[in-house]
Amino acid sequence: MIKLIEKIEGEAKLNFNFKDDKIDFVDVEFMSTRNIENILRDKRAFDALVINPRVCGICGHAHLIATVEALESCYNNLQLSNKAKAIRELTLNFELIQNHFKWFYLTMLPFFGHKQQILKATYPTQLMGKAIAALGGQYPHTSYAVVGGVVCEITQMDIIKIESYITQTLKFVEDNLVKVDSKTLLACKDADALLDFSGDLPEILIEIKKRDMLNHAKSYDRFIAFGENSFFKKGKSLKARVSHSISLKDVKESEVPSSFAKNVSYKDKYYEVGPLARAMVNKTTLVVDAHKKYGDSLFSRILARVFEILELLNHSKKLIDKIDLDEPSYIEPEFDISKLTSSGYSAVEAARGTLIHKVELEEGIIKNYEIITPTQWNLSGGTREKPGVSQKAMVGLSDIKTAELVFKSFDVCSVCTTH
Amino acid sequence: MKKKMRILWLSAISCNGNTHSFLNYPYMETFLDDFEFIYHPVIDSKYLLQDIVSKLISCDILLIEGAISREFKRADVSIVDIIEKYSKIVQKIVTVGTCATFGGIFRESGYKNTSGLHFDQEKQIENFKYLLDKTISISGCPIHPEVLVNTLYAIKKSTTLRLDGFLRPKAFYAYTVHNGCTRNEYFEYKVDNHKFGELEGCMYYEHGCQAPFTHGSCNKILWNEVNSKTRAGLPCMGCTEPSFPRQNLFSTKKNMSIPENLPVGVSKRAYLTLAGITKAFKIDRLEKKLFDD
Repeated sequence: MIKLIEKIEGEAKLNFNFKDDKIDFVDVEFMSTRNIENILRDKRAFDALVINPRVCGICGHAHLIATVEALESCYNNLQLSNKAKAIRELTLNFELIQNHFKWFYLTMLPFFGHKQQILKATYPTQLMGKAIAALGGQYPHTSYAVVGGVVCEITQMDIIKIESYITQTLKFVEDNLVKVDSKTLLACKDADALLDFSGDLPEILIEIKKRDMLNHAKSYDRFIAFGENSFFKKGKSLKARVSHSISLKDVKESEVPSSFAKNVSYKDKYYEVGPLARAMVNKTTLVVDAHKKYGDSLFSRILARVFEILELLNHSKKLIDKIDLDEPSYIEPEFDISKLTSSGYSAVEAARGTLIHKVELEEGIIKNYEIITPTQWNLSGGTREKPGVSQKAMVGLSDIKTAELVFKSFDVCSVCTTH
Repeated sequence: MKKKMRILWLSAISCNGNTHSFLNYPYMETFLDDFEFIYHPVIDSKYLLQDIVSKLISCDILLIEGAISREFKRADVSIVDIIEKYSKIVQKIVTVGTCATFGGIFRESGYKNTSGLHFDQEKQIENFKYLLDKTISISGCPIHPEVLVNTLYAIKKSTTLRLDGFLRPKAFYAYTVHNGCTRNEYFEYKVDNHKFGELEGCMYYEHGCQAPFTHGSCNKILWNEVNSKTRAGLPCMGCTEPSFPRQNLFSTKKNMSIPENLPVGVSKRAYLTLAGITKAFKIDRLEKKLFDD
């Protein structure tokens, strides 16, 4: 049975195959693409800073950061101030947070008998948008990160303003998502303890338990994250065994005949990316406990994404405290990019997981540009013998509505997947 | 219960940036009291996309986001056919964003004959000509949420909007992005020593800022209520204009050291005269860092 899955920044067709009243395979088809990689060809390197945020309206900032880092990696010995690094990391954090709020209140809640909570989604995401705009000028679609740093010069007043947006967002979390002091929640080590709290997140987790869905949506239990910064670690986790020595050389992208979305694998195996993967690699106590009890399930996946909001807010506060305003925001590269013939790549942790950009420049002109998005990892369209991550998570379910919930629990984004 | 205006939000070849920019509208609760979506790319609606393409659901306003090509389909139906069907029953059509208005970035996406609804960049196209009287263009990559919402309220109140040559409401597009920029003094006195990462200096002279010849209210109605690109130190990329995206965006194209694109309404002769006069000024305050003692 073919079902059109909507409101995933576009659509996808899921073709459900049943055997003995259980799903035994799901074909995933994305029907269109926008060819951003072709659009970039023969354009000047800096134009990618403007074009690439337009890959996606919800995680465009991650594409900007991936672009600037890929271009910077074309240089030898390019200097970047710690202040610029911290500012970029902050704006990326804020984008991750806004995405998670939207996913939780607009996409996930309606599956559990709640009405879509538009105002609860937009209030905190607007605060995060303001925080990005205070630094980047606007959100979405700024290009404020340039080779050598960021274009903004911030003052103590900007910092105070951004701190107030973070505090107000934390207050929203404490008043709505989990009704407990954020310090208590951050220190929480027991995933089951969340079921005793009140708030929108515990309500959903309780509902998962009540509906006997604790073991739903398990996949390969293989996680990967390539983006590194002051919070995220790079590494892979196989059934909770973590290794940090991984190489982008082992990442392979391959075409799928029936879909515009390309497959992505690591050493020929499918891996899950995203907040659950990051938490497993980072060994986040609460999420690791959820994983220990319920595996790589719907429960752990939802908990990981929502908990990341709190962690990133908390980390952003610490990051701001470390900013030295006397440092420059921008250090002019010694070599003009228009004279550069080189290649480079980057990996950043975007809201939905690892995002990879690769660029080849010939005298500053883009000769080749490749983008691998997080959703490609999770939504790879594998075969019956070797299904992709989300495909495997849907196998064994008995109804399409639940399968749609499982599919969307990976925070599906059609425009990213097909770019 | 008051009657809500019914809106169909249709996405064509887009990145959904306008959809997410719209979600930043600060008074969403009030908006949703006055309007309802029969379909929206993110917000829950009574109808599925499949209903929209297979039936004719009554609605008052058609919003189109994204560039348009007959080849591009939603739910297996050409976007052109969906637009044709709904354009007959709605009071107004609003092109949301630069792609839907002029083609924008996704004009180059590889679909045949991709353009905006009425314009292929600056050129008016023959398709949909019969809808010109019904259409309002809200250009921008992305749209400013207030510009879109306030235009929708103007439609609801049957206000006659004065539109420019590209069907954009003059209330928002008669201004230039330059208008209200905190760096205006540097522009006026030709202080072009701008280096990225500084509060001082104008980016028009070296860094490709298009604010003096781009129509938009970015510095009048601030983004996310707090800032603008140029205030932050980023050149205006001209994203509300038919030419977006130009090439070599961070660089000012010049002929004989004079910027090729002059501020709206300024002739080359006038610019040279003004430049000559302003060069005579040496304003100490503008040469120094803003926060120096």
